Amino acid sequence: MPATQMTMRYGHPEGHTDVCFDDSGSCIVTCGSDGDVRIWKDLDDDDPKSINVGERAYSCALKKGKLVTSVSNNTVQIHTFPNGTPDGILTRFTTNANHVVFNKDGSKIAAGSGDFMVKVVDVMDSSQQKTFRGHDAPVLSVSLDPNDIFLTCTISWPLLQKCNDVINAKSICRLAWQPKTGKLLAIPVGNTIKLYKRETWKNEVDLSDNFITLPLNVVTWSPCEKYLAAGSINGCIVVWNVETKDCMERVKHEKGYTICGLAWHPTSRQIAYTDAEGNLGLLENVCDKDGIKSSSKVSGMGNKDYNDLFDGDDDNDNADNSNFLNENLEFQLTPKGKTNYEDDEDDLMLAAGYSKHRNHILEDDDSSVEVASIEKGSYHEKDEEKDEQTHAMPLMTSQRPFYDGPRPSLPQKPFQSGSTPQHLSHRFMVWNSVGIIRCYNDDQDSAIDVEFHDTSIHHATHLSNTLNYTIADLSHEAILLACESTTELASKLHCLHFSSWDSSKEWTVDMPPNEDIEAICLGQGWAASATSALLLRIFSIGGVQKEVFSLPGPVVSMAGHGEQLLIVFHRGTGFDGDQCLGIQLLELGKRKRQVLHGDPLPLTKKSYLAWVGFSAEGTPCYVDSEGIVRILNRRLGNTWTPICNTKEHCKGKSDHYWVVGIHENPQQLRCIPCKGSRFPPTLPRPAVAILSFQLPYCQIATEKGQMEEQFWRSFIFHNHLDYLSENGYEYEESTKNQAIKEQQELLMKMFALSCKLDREFRCVELAELMTQNAVNLAIKYASRSRRLILAQRLSELAVEKATELAATLKEEEEDFRNKLNTSSTTEWSQPMVVNHKVEENNAKDSEEDDEIEEKTDLHKNKQNPFCKNGNSADGPAIKSVTSSSQGRVNPFKVSASSKEPAISVNSTSSNILDNMKKLSKKSTVPNRTANKEKSLVLKPLIPKPKSKQVLATNFFQTCTSQTEKIEEKENPENSLSESPALSAQNIENERPKTGFQMWLEENRSLILADHPSFSEESDIIKEGINRFRILSDEERKEWAKKAKGGTTNEVEINETETKKRKQPSNDHTKEKEEEKTKENVNLSKKRKSLAVSTNQKLSAFAFKKD
Amino acid sequence: MDSAEVEFLAEKELVTIIPNFSLDKIYLIGGDLGPFNPGLPVEVPLWLAINLKQRQKCRVIPPEWMDVEKLEEIRDQERKEETFTPMPSPYYMELTKLLLNHASDNIPKADEIRTLIKDTWDTRIAKLRVSADSFVKQQEAHAKLDNLTLMEINTAGAFLTQALNHMYKLRTNLHPGESAPSQDF
Repeated sequence: MPATQMTMRYGHPEGHTDVCFDDSGSCIVTCGSDGDVRIWKDLDDDDPKSINVGERAYSCALKKGKLVTSVSNNTVQIHTFPNGTPDGILTRFTTNANHVVFNKDGSKIAAGSGDFMVKVVDVMDSSQQKTFRGHDAPVLSVSLDPNDIFLTCTISWPLLQKCNDVINAKSICRLAWQPKTGKLLAIPVGNTIKLYKRETWKNEVDLSDNFITLPLNVVTWSPCEKYLAAGSINGCIVVWNVETKDCMERVKHEKGYTICGLAWHPTSRQIAYTDAEGNLGLLENVCDKDGIKSSSKVSGMGNKDYNDLFDGDDDNDNADNSNFLNENLEFQLTPKGKTNYEDDEDDLMLAAGYSKHRNHILEDDDSSVEVASIEKGSYHEKDEEKDEQTHAMPLMTSQRPFYDGPRPSLPQKPFQSGSTPQHLSHRFMVWNSVGIIRCYNDDQDSAIDVEFHDTSIHHATHLSNTLNYTIADLSHEAILLACESTTELASKLHCLHFSSWDSSKEWTVDMPPNEDIEAICLGQGWAASATSALLLRIFSIGGVQKEVFSLPGPVVSMAGHGEQLLIVFHRGTGFDGDQCLGIQLLELGKRKRQVLHGDPLPLTKKSYLAWVGFSAEGTPCYVDSEGIVRILNRRLGNTWTPICNTKEHCKGKSDHYWVVGIHENPQQLRCIPCKGSRFPPTLPRPAVAILSFQLPYCQIATEKGQMEEQFWRSFIFHNHLDYLSENGYEYEESTKNQAIKEQQELLMKMFALSCKLDREFRCVELAELMTQNAVNLAIKYASRSRRLILAQRLSELAVEKATELAATLKEEEEDFRNKLNTSSTTEWSQPMVVNHKVEENNAKDSEEDDEIEEKTDLHKNKQNPFCKNGNSADGPAIKSVTSSSQGRVNPFKVSASSKEPAISVNSTSSNILDNMKKLSKKSTVPNRTANKEKSLVLKPLIPKPKSKQVLATNFFQTCTSQTEKIEEKENPENSLSESPALSAQNIENERPKTGFQMWLEENRSLILADHPSFSEESDIIKEGINRFRILSDEERKEWAKKAKGGTTNEVEINETETKKRKQPSNDHTKEKEEEKTKENVNLSKKRKSLAVSTNQKLSAFAFKKD
Repeated sequence: MDSAEVEFLAEKELVTIIPNFSLDKIYLIGGDLGPFNPGLPVEVPLWLAINLKQRQKCRVIPPEWMDVEKLEEIRDQERKEETFTPMPSPYYMELTKLLLNHASDNIPKADEIRTLIKDTWDTRIAKLRVSADSFVKQQEAHAKLDNLTLMEINTAGAFLTQALNHMYKLRTNLHPGESAPSQDF
């Protein structure tokens, strides 16, 4: 049993105080700076008797009905006790006396004063006095030897620092003789107590403890001489057993004030103490464990205490629990708490130890105290007996002082997120994003109120709480309640399934005996309960029992969202106030899996979990008692990122925010501000406040830090979109695009900033985070601000990125093919559409970019080959870059072009295909001829699709064209984003006048294919002229004819066209037949025929235009 | 201008409500309102707050100053000072009246607040009367009245100006009257 520390109470105004007991120990006497001596019946005495002795009282001593005080008029006075009538002045000094003490029989007093003098005065006859001079410093304290032989006083003891006034002394250094035998003299020196042997004055023993960090102020012996108590200037009170030198008690003053008065109760195990702020305190049951009290009682109490702390059954414990939740981790955190805790531990052993010795101890100890006070002689024997006892139980005594390592912290109780402590008569059982459940526990009735934020979900309901439900959860579908088991009734789970379409809207389930529900949660279509048997039970929302599995540890809290179930449990024992929690995240949908496998949950030091749940978008989050909000970062291997410190928003130190919900889009932390508490009261109805998030990035004040924080915040808060798309949930594309845009903008800003600061390396690092479009912009920015090296680096980066992208796309494509084989059209066509939407937006962006680009590139295109598009390709690789930069518009085209030079023909052809589409879409009259021309030339160029891939390309092109709307939108942008060269070409296409021009148009792609380095139109024309010359006369004439003939030849051309058009479609069918044999038979005929038919339809469409 | 008009103006003041329904942003001539999320405080004009409250679509959160302690302080200050003290809101009277009439269940200690506001109002009106009285008696040309709210001006203004007009008329008639023939009758 540790010493019980009673709460301090006000005794005197702040200032030096002193305390002593009267002879019988029936009252406590204190004196203080108000010049009053107060006589307290006990600590709770509300009306202590006050005796005014002067303006200030410095020290008091009481013996045999005489109260001696030293007061500020430099006198030592005597009063009768307990009446308090003045009985004369004993002696005077030239300055005030600092300390006054009685000798053992109360016949003399000794007083030490600031004028370097000590006087010993006979109480009865004040003329009998002796003055001791020769000290060369103010006398701090005095002590009379019980045998009246020695007088000791502290002054300039070599161990102490000399000081010229009492108030300057670090420690008042109250020394003490052993009260009966006087064998030892105890002196507080620094952080230790030095014990000096009588007569030899040898330093026998040093008593010290790690608990003491600042110098000791006062020391006092227990009346039995066995214990020594000392108080330090920072409020520590430590008790040693002098024989064993074990530290018995460590108590910390609740406010840490200087202890300046310390007194043992003459008979019982109490220590009264006063501090320099005038407060009076009492320690009870000091050193009880050594059997001073009846041991049976001790062991009983020990057990009870143990129960209180750990078992969690009785009411007391509920209070404990709530305390724990609300306020007081301090209980664990303060050193005082630590000692308590440790003591408890020991008590467990003590209790065990005692049972063995019970009889033995019982005999002598009940009487020992009284005996000791009366019979002096027998005291020693008793004492020795006791010593034997302590030796008989070495475990218990040695345990305490030697274990000095980390101490286990109290494991956190299970709780529901968004609930207030259970002991409150009016409390929130749940406050979440759906609604509020309140519980009223009055004397007359007990009721539960359910209220929905959105009344359209369900109307507010009122339930009577006869079963005493303590745990609740609320979702859009149901209300879930649970109660603990009582002696008669089992623990019960009660579900009010209000969204049920049938008439029975309630169900209850009883837990097996000896199994208590500790936490519950609701998801979409399911409910879960964690029980004290370490089982997690899942129910369907209609009441069907589903999975049951074992938890790795006692549950702390649970949360559900959609298909996700989050469980926080105790992974082990935490130490030094920390909790050791683990977290499990399960998905209970069709694809059941465990995402987090009981990973450790990071908590702030010495904090506990305060809230756990999901953001409205379904990302797990939690809040600890220090107000740090953390969110799961799925893109960084399921790590936890702190996103907000609610404490930063608090005005007062004891203010808190009580979190009720987290939203990622818009970024909101919904919480209730609580003034001076951790949780809100039910009345007046608290209002929700919204806090913004801020990641703890460095140098947030600078522009750079700010942008970095913003970027990563945006990054983290849009993770959920990936998750949603992965799991096939619907979400708004626009938000994602917005997020990407925002992030890219921030990156560009940071890029520009680092450019300004000449941090080119950093620029490249930033560029690595950018998308292709942004990189292009960055290249432009770099080249414009004349950072050629940077631009060079960036373009290399861009190439890398493009190839990577191409590679991934290629993979994707293959994936698609695989899927094609197995899955139905609808399944893959949907994501396709989604893809296109995204790309459409990207294309828009790129369009804008490119518009700017065009202007600048008129001058700079040499430096920046990437601005040149498609046809002007410098090499296959670079080509792929450009095409892929806009290429995300049509991933399949990209992949084709990204192939090695061997297939580069394909790329050109597909480019032309695109062009054709463009033109056909425009479908203006002058275009028609051009169209024809195009298609004429196209045919020979269309490669026989040799590889599967090409087939796929075609295939997907047709597929996409099924979704024509998108295509149509997409293509104009596509066309716009092409380089000026191309558009020039288009213009030419519109009016081909001469035969050469027509020929050139046809053969341009050939020329380009042969001379990929040509970037200027003039080069192409030159080459074209050369080639044209090589042609035979006849051919040339034919071209000229065509040019002139126009309409007349149309039929002819059409004929050739149709012929040639058939060719590719034939090719397709052939190809497909080949494919069929090659490939899985699964590749359904239907689809192919569909593809073919669409092809034909398309071509028909093209013809119609003609 | 009559008090109904003043009240109409006051209805543009923003108050915080907690809606119990969900609605996207609404676009009105006077500005955009919302979005309304159930359980989340949102600022709306008083007229909308009262309308929603009457339809039981929201809870009203009283303005910060609508608190017994603060109002007591304001009342005491008002009683202490000779001149008018600044009010927590230019429409304190109208807001109190409307909110207490329609949403008294959402305002803790509604009755006390009503009394306190009424006390403050009475003090101020009394001051206004006294100063008008001295203004007229001393025949001042102008007076400076700071921190008056529209409603207060409105209660005294119309009557005062009219009264001054009358007095002016009477005075001007008095002077020529001495020599006027009418005196001779």
